[in-house]
Amino acid sequence: MTTPDDILRVRDLSTRFFTQEGQINAVSELDVRIERGEVFGIVGESGSGKSVTARSIMDLVESPGRITDGEIWFDDAELADAVGDDYPDAVDGTLVNLLELPERVRDSLRGTAFSMIFQDPESSFNPTLTVGEQLAEAVEVQRRASANPRSTRARTREYSLASYALSTVLPSRKYVTPESRERAIELLELVGIPDPVKRADEYPHEYSGGMLQRAMIAQALAGEPDVLIADEPTTALDVTIQAQILDLLDDLQAETGMTILLITHNLGVIARMCDRVGVMYAGEIVERGTLADVFDDHVHPYTEGLLGSIPDLEGARGRLEPIPGNVPSLLDEEMADRCRFADRCPKAMEDCLEHPPEYPAAGSDHHEARCVLAETTYDETRALSEDHFGETERPAADKHAGPEEPDEEPPEEQSHPPTETTGGEHQ
Amino acid sequence: MSVGDPLVRVDDLRKYFWEHDSLLDRLFGDEPVPVRAVDGVSFEIYEGETLGLVGESGCGKSTAGETMVRLQEPTDGRVEFDGEPVFALEGEALDAFRRAVQIVFQDPFSSLDPRMTVGDTVREPLDVHGVGTERERRDRVRDLLERVGLSADQFDRYPHEFSGGQRQRIGIARALAVEPEFVVLDEPTSALDVSVQAQVLNLLDDLQDEFDLTYLLISHDLSVIRHVCDRVAVMYLGEIVEIGPVDELFGAPKHPYTRALLESVPRASTDERERDRETLAGDVPSPRDPPSGCRFRTRCPMVIPPEGLDIERETYRELMTLRERIERRDVSLETVDTDEQFDIDDGASDEDVPAATAALKDRLLESELPPRHEAVVDEALAELTAGNWAAAADRLRAEYESVCEREAPGLGDGSHPVACHLHGAAAERTDGPSSWT
Amino acid sequence: MIPERLRSNLKREFDRSLLAKLGLVLLVGVLLMAVFAPIIATHDPTRTGYVDENGNEYPPRGAEYTTQIGEDGEFVEVEVEPNEEHLLGTNNIGQDVFSRFVYGARTSLLVGLLGTGLAVLMGVPFGLIAGYYGGRVDDVMMRIADVMLAFPSLVLALALIGVFGTSGIGVPDPIVMAGLADGMPESTAIPGTVTIVVALVTWVWFARVARGEAMSVRTEEYVKAARSIGASDWTILRRHVLPNSLTPVIVLATIQVAAVVLLESSLSFLGFSGTTLSWGYEIQRGQDYLRTRWWIATIPGIGIVLSVIAVNLLGDWLRDALDPNIEGERG
Repeated sequence: MTTPDDILRVRDLSTRFFTQEGQINAVSELDVRIERGEVFGIVGESGSGKSVTARSIMDLVESPGRITDGEIWFDDAELADAVGDDYPDAVDGTLVNLLELPERVRDSLRGTAFSMIFQDPESSFNPTLTVGEQLAEAVEVQRRASANPRSTRARTREYSLASYALSTVLPSRKYVTPESRERAIELLELVGIPDPVKRADEYPHEYSGGMLQRAMIAQALAGEPDVLIADEPTTALDVTIQAQILDLLDDLQAETGMTILLITHNLGVIARMCDRVGVMYAGEIVERGTLADVFDDHVHPYTEGLLGSIPDLEGARGRLEPIPGNVPSLLDEEMADRCRFADRCPKAMEDCLEHPPEYPAAGSDHHEARCVLAETTYDETRALSEDHFGETERPAADKHAGPEEPDEEPPEEQSHPPTETTGGEHQ
Repeated sequence: MSVGDPLVRVDDLRKYFWEHDSLLDRLFGDEPVPVRAVDGVSFEIYEGETLGLVGESGCGKSTAGETMVRLQEPTDGRVEFDGEPVFALEGEALDAFRRAVQIVFQDPFSSLDPRMTVGDTVREPLDVHGVGTERERRDRVRDLLERVGLSADQFDRYPHEFSGGQRQRIGIARALAVEPEFVVLDEPTSALDVSVQAQVLNLLDDLQDEFDLTYLLISHDLSVIRHVCDRVAVMYLGEIVEIGPVDELFGAPKHPYTRALLESVPRASTDERERDRETLAGDVPSPRDPPSGCRFRTRCPMVIPPEGLDIERETYRELMTLRERIERRDVSLETVDTDEQFDIDDGASDEDVPAATAALKDRLLESELPPRHEAVVDEALAELTAGNWAAAADRLRAEYESVCEREAPGLGDGSHPVACHLHGAAAERTDGPSSWT
Repeated sequence: MIPERLRSNLKREFDRSLLAKLGLVLLVGVLLMAVFAPIIATHDPTRTGYVDENGNEYPPRGAEYTTQIGEDGEFVEVEVEPNEEHLLGTNNIGQDVFSRFVYGARTSLLVGLLGTGLAVLMGVPFGLIAGYYGGRVDDVMMRIADVMLAFPSLVLALALIGVFGTSGIGVPDPIVMAGLADGMPESTAIPGTVTIVVALVTWVWFARVARGEAMSVRTEEYVKAARSIGASDWTILRRHVLPNSLTPVIVLATIQVAAVVLLESSLSFLGFSGTTLSWGYEIQRGQDYLRTRWWIATIPGIGIVLSVIAVNLLGDWLRDALDPNIEGERG
């Protein structure tokens, strides 16, 4: 658990949302360890808490959500040095517990230590500014922040409304300097945008979806982050473009050696990109390990079900074996103290009525599963009766009256609130 | 499966949307621009089968689906359902068609009216067509809800109380209410999680057997298509590039686009990292101004060089891409001029040309060219540095024009036709491609 | 007419919401005041002059009213401070401020509610049709709407008065006729022209909002679904487009009531409403005395504010009751 090469160690992280319906435990006591230079994948369905995990690490959880508990240790000697005097509690050797740091310092880490790319590139750019300007701005922000790493005020002070107003009249007062523009063009080139000089002067609507995703990656790279968090980076894209973007991320990772935390619901993307994987269900990681552990030697019936649900592209067509039922409610009051998958699990036993810890499982040293089956074999005599959990067993009669997932994951799986206008596929 | 007459026959269906077509545009004399969403699509669907229509977003697959069932006005073409021309239907015949053909939509959030209860939603088709008495309709709705895996006592609930998968089941129940023969499934599972998707796919499968349904499944998800369909049509930029039985098409794809599409899908297996795959470069061109000839030629890795041109396939692809960029004026000369060493804005001065040309070539082309081609490219780039875009493009075109841009390949006949010069008459005329495949 | 479910929703939301109850109480209060104005008012609101502490009337009843000239030849205004006789005093021409306030509720509410209602009835169907059909239909209809928008309301009012010949319709006041209130005006003026003008000026806003909503609802897949099962345009408009477009219309309507009451004030100030008995007019006139006699403008102002709040609260209630997403746990 304490390999010196961990860049990020998340311990006991709990993020909860306090809504009118009640407390929603989006992420519960989550442990993750990410090694420097690896690609760690978190896979799960909508409502599993994978996006909230990413946002918690980025400190982007929005009200009514809050990180209620846990530690996020980030390995950065320079930072440890810088904040060690003021916040001795937050520092342990070269590790820094980000949750102990004040808002101001955490803000300054965004972009330089961590940066994030999102699912929907279209809404991540301001349609009224050129892509080049927006990239240059990101570069400028990072440049000024790193010139004065402990002060985040530096960036806001220099870019007040007044200076914005001035910049529209006086070119010399522009926030964006020729150097940052130059760097923006370099970044566009780096992410494989042909003709970056011309492209930098174009507006987001002139870009295709794939190109915008590239531009967003460029923006994320502006501060040369140590960890890149990619939240469903290819979900909104077509397969041929998805392949391009994955290749790009792969190349960039090889080139810069940065660490990538990849959040996705697509097991294919995980298989393509990751070294190690965590499978999330109902706010916790239920199985983790190397690719081979999870894809070939999985223990947890949920992992099994997830893999069994994917129609095979190569093989013959048989009947799919879906997981029955629906994603569970994460409302605090409705969460029983048992294995959270037990009500949908084909192999639920009496032992499952107790919340299982993570057991080491066969395979590599990394392989762990939150399932009693890692320790014992399935015993039919101890199986729970079909109707143990009442009607929730049937997919048909799901009693679940509230929103099926907390509001905090709007972009996930293209879910729209019912009133939102959507044209579906725009053609 | 394909015995007798087809249930649905689509013949040269076209659907254009018009831009710049408002009163004001008319007033200012702007010409309307057609967006060719569907541009001459023909296929047949036989009773009891599932035809898949697959393609990337913007390829026109959904528009094709909606136009053939008269949700959109066709621009041209003909669709027959059960031998009747669909676009000519009126009155009772149209009503009957509306009952026989139903659609399941993509977005389970937007496809149900948030202000109508589930019961009312499923009942709507019965109301519209005046089926049965009030009581019979109610009973039928309850049966339907049970059949798709919901409970009948959820009749009075509103859509927002259901999860995505459940809503999609409601949409399916609505489609089945009037006992259709033919159901268009427009991305029925693309908004769902995999585990829920599997449930819905199984349900659709069961319903097909139970009610003898014929499906048209529109999807961008190749694994879903493979799992569900009997035959598949692949669309690209408003055209069908290949149709065939599912196993043949997935096992031995003929069209380079189909092949690229299949290779692009990441597999959920541990071998995925090592799998060799060829991804497509670039984006889909705009349907406002589709490429001449074969629409895929701008991205096709197998684009066919003119006869007798002794050149590597990758190199030829690069040269074609270069020419397209010149034709689209998508090369900015400043790119090579980072040190402002050349004065290219007004056309480079004579002594700068060789240096600027070399810099451009360096930037635009990756591979080394054989000497003969190097000369051609140098000439073209020299024109370019002088600011003569058209001349540069002409020079390249004269040398490298491909059959793929001159002629649009037709979709042939047979059980597995493909619209590609590699497989058509053109294949016999050129010697190159056979050695490549 | 009202579906069972809607009725139960209305009731449940009403039971649950204190604000809705408050709104209802306020609105009913103002309505009662308007209807029973002759009983509530203490003086004939149109009579100029005042009664002094000794019961003498100035100027004497029946005398032609002129400005009072004081003994030293100075101009004397016939204003009295609030006293037992005149609860809120009198204004500069000696009219009882309280009575004018009570009567003013009639005009303001009539114009505010009727005018807005008429505007909704005109604008919403217009906008829904334009937005639902789109294209050429939309082009033509919205250009018409734009023209209407460009029309100044005063010109419109003048033209209408020209057409109708008169600006207000005097109808006998049933309460006075029944002998329940002596000494009150026998007829009350229905400000028909103003109501129509107000509707003609404001319907465009409803058309715009309804059009925007219809345009977005039109692209929803449930509308496509309804078309694919063969529902007629009329059915789709009625069952899907209208209910899903209503929320912003309701919000706009509650805001418009206030705007309309104010618009009415400027029209009645110019004499277009056929009556000067309106809150808006009082405010207009009281503005000159804000320093010395603030209540002349303030009291009717409070009347407008309370009515508008009442309508807003009821609008919220209606919106919540119509919105299935707000519907809570079912019993």
